[in-house]
Amino acid sequence: MKKTIKSILRHGFLAILAFIWLIPIIWLFCTSFSAYPGINISKFFPDQWTFQNYRLLLFDADTVAQFPNWFMNTLTIAVFTCIISSMFVLMVSYAISCMRFKMRKPFMNIAILLNLFPGFLAMIAVYFILKSLNMTNTRIGLILVYSGSSGLGYLVAKGFFDTISKSLREAASIEGASQLQIFTKIVLPISKPIIVYTVISSFLVPWMDFIFARIILNSGISSEQTVAIGLYRMLDKTLINSYFARFCAGGVLVSIPISILFMFMQKFYVEGITGGSVKG
Amino acid sequence: MNKKLIALKDGFLRPGKSFLEGDIFVKLSALLMGAGYFRRKQIIKGLIITIFQFVVIFFAFTVAVPYLSKITTLGTVQRESVFNFETMKNEENDYDHSFKILLYGIICIVVLTMSVVIYFINITRVRNLQLLAENGKHINSISEDIRAYKNDKFHMTLLFFPIMGVVTFTIIPLLVMISVAFTNYDQNHMPPTSLFTWVGIENFKNMFTNSVTISFGYAFRTVLGWTLVWAFFATFTNYIGGILLAMFINNRKTKFQRVWRMLFVVAIAVPQFVSLLLVRNFFADTGIVNTICSNIGLTHLLQSIGLVNANISYIPFLTSPGWAKFMIILLNMWVGIPYLMLIATGVLMNIPMDIRESARIDGANGFQEFTRITMPYMLFVTGPFLVTQFVGNINNFNVIYLLTQDVYVTLDQALANSRAKEIDLLITWLFRLTNEYYNYKMASVIGILVFVICAIFTLIAFNSMIRGNKEENFQV
Repeated sequence: MKKTIKSILRHGFLAILAFIWLIPIIWLFCTSFSAYPGINISKFFPDQWTFQNYRLLLFDADTVAQFPNWFMNTLTIAVFTCIISSMFVLMVSYAISCMRFKMRKPFMNIAILLNLFPGFLAMIAVYFILKSLNMTNTRIGLILVYSGSSGLGYLVAKGFFDTISKSLREAASIEGASQLQIFTKIVLPISKPIIVYTVISSFLVPWMDFIFARIILNSGISSEQTVAIGLYRMLDKTLINSYFARFCAGGVLVSIPISILFMFMQKFYVEGITGGSVKG
Repeated sequence: MNKKLIALKDGFLRPGKSFLEGDIFVKLSALLMGAGYFRRKQIIKGLIITIFQFVVIFFAFTVAVPYLSKITTLGTVQRESVFNFETMKNEENDYDHSFKILLYGIICIVVLTMSVVIYFINITRVRNLQLLAENGKHINSISEDIRAYKNDKFHMTLLFFPIMGVVTFTIIPLLVMISVAFTNYDQNHMPPTSLFTWVGIENFKNMFTNSVTISFGYAFRTVLGWTLVWAFFATFTNYIGGILLAMFINNRKTKFQRVWRMLFVVAIAVPQFVSLLLVRNFFADTGIVNTICSNIGLTHLLQSIGLVNANISYIPFLTSPGWAKFMIILLNMWVGIPYLMLIATGVLMNIPMDIRESARIDGANGFQEFTRITMPYMLFVTGPFLVTQFVGNINNFNVIYLLTQDVYVTLDQALANSRAKEIDLLITWLFRLTNEYYNYKMASVIGILVFVICAIFTLIAFNSMIRGNKEENFQV
């Protein structure tokens, strides 16, 4: 009997915590179906439920809300960023983890140093570099910003490659395989978890970022923006009262695919963070 | 260390030695970089390096000389509109653009430095080639050279593009912005309409000065203080909270562990710009939480015990310094604990069971098991991660920016003069200075100081935590 009460208390406590964590998400979901376009400040649940917000967002673009355009922009940027970043990250981490060369340690130290500088600091200069190449307000510019120095984020993948047995590579090398073959035919096929992690995490960057995008895409033309800045702008003081419910609908629409990818990725994220040190 | 110095010295001396000891073709290579290769019948390689040499020389005279000659002054000709009598129109003069001079100047310095390094390496290479030839050893054909880049030199193939990316998008921009800290580039000196120039360490002096006109010293101390307090609380509340939650969920008595874990992960899977902007409106002065608090009388209660100013009829969750700081740390727990829970779960599952069991047999209770076994193990495994978290929190832009931007207004005149707010981190202050006030010089100074602070913490932590280099041990 005492056991059951304890068990009920334990699960009740967890349920309360989970509820606290989910309140904003529930609110987001409910408000996205609200017939009132602004913020309802007196009630948690909307008075009237409707699909209007989704319909407007998806099929009725106006000067402020261009969700289909934003979505396509972000998707294009995300796909290319993902391809370039993943390649860079995997290439750098393989070189640093599995090969031994003179500049290896200096490279690693430089990477640590560079990661200590706040990222925005460089942004102003990057903006002018892109401007002199006429690439501000273009998707290519933003792709370059996201993926250009992605090689610096090699640590998690390196931690994974570190755990791959050295003898495997040595055996292949004795059999006459070149380093290129070892990388593509032996190491990559058994590194699926870290490839999935790298691909998803770099794919998510353009969906989450609203700062770099706002600096590079500063023309103010709504159709050129990404989902993040587009939605962010909907909450301007002048717009919030007519767009808040639509912001919520947009939030739900981007959150669904992103959450699924995120959940899929988190498993590998934990492995990456804890993997190396635990095995030591 | 000594060994490294010798290697360094060797690296500098070898090209000179190679030049002196080399034959006539090695000496010729100092003039025409491909000469040594042509002699050894490596025609294609020789052609490539010679073309490279001419491209660099061309670049040096057409681009580098014009920009580098102005870099000491950053330009002298201000933009003016001059009436041209021939075309009968107002025309702009041939003005100097200070930022372009600085940017291209630094690009030129980087490119020329790399070229000089390649130039010296080339002499050593050619000399080695000569030695190979004299000793009758095999000299690689072009296809063999290319094959080497798939094998022994594969790291160069792998690293070339990523390093180029880092140089273009991180190193050059950082060098430019570090230089800006030593200029007077701000809203009054904005190219192209006006020029800016070098001012030495004046900006750094101003950053630590408190006077009638300059309040940066005060603002910097306030912001730095809060940044450190924030980084400490943000790191440790999340860390402890995450571990406790993970232990609670992973306890054998908890059912449906995966479901619970997933519920918490859902909360953080939603992009922060959605969830935090939503929470900001949740806790707005006229938001729904305030409505509820006032309905149940909480606002009144807090007023009567003095936690809320009696003149206002709402709880200033994100608009008064004290409340905002408290709420930011609290809401950051909402954002961060699920992450830490995930990581802690991964680590906890790896705690060797036998240690726990033997502790239990020896009569340890749950609390002792936590403080003597679980925590030390967690700290051991996640120590380096904790340091990265702390440094990451110093630079944690999203939470504070999304929660307070456009909402929080500072009443402190001295802070407002320096464009800072009580709840600002150095990084959000930096961002506001550049994005809203175009005060690039002070923003760059802050950026450099952030770097120094992060570097100090990283060095201290890594020196005391990681003794010796264990990296090789992980590789079987």
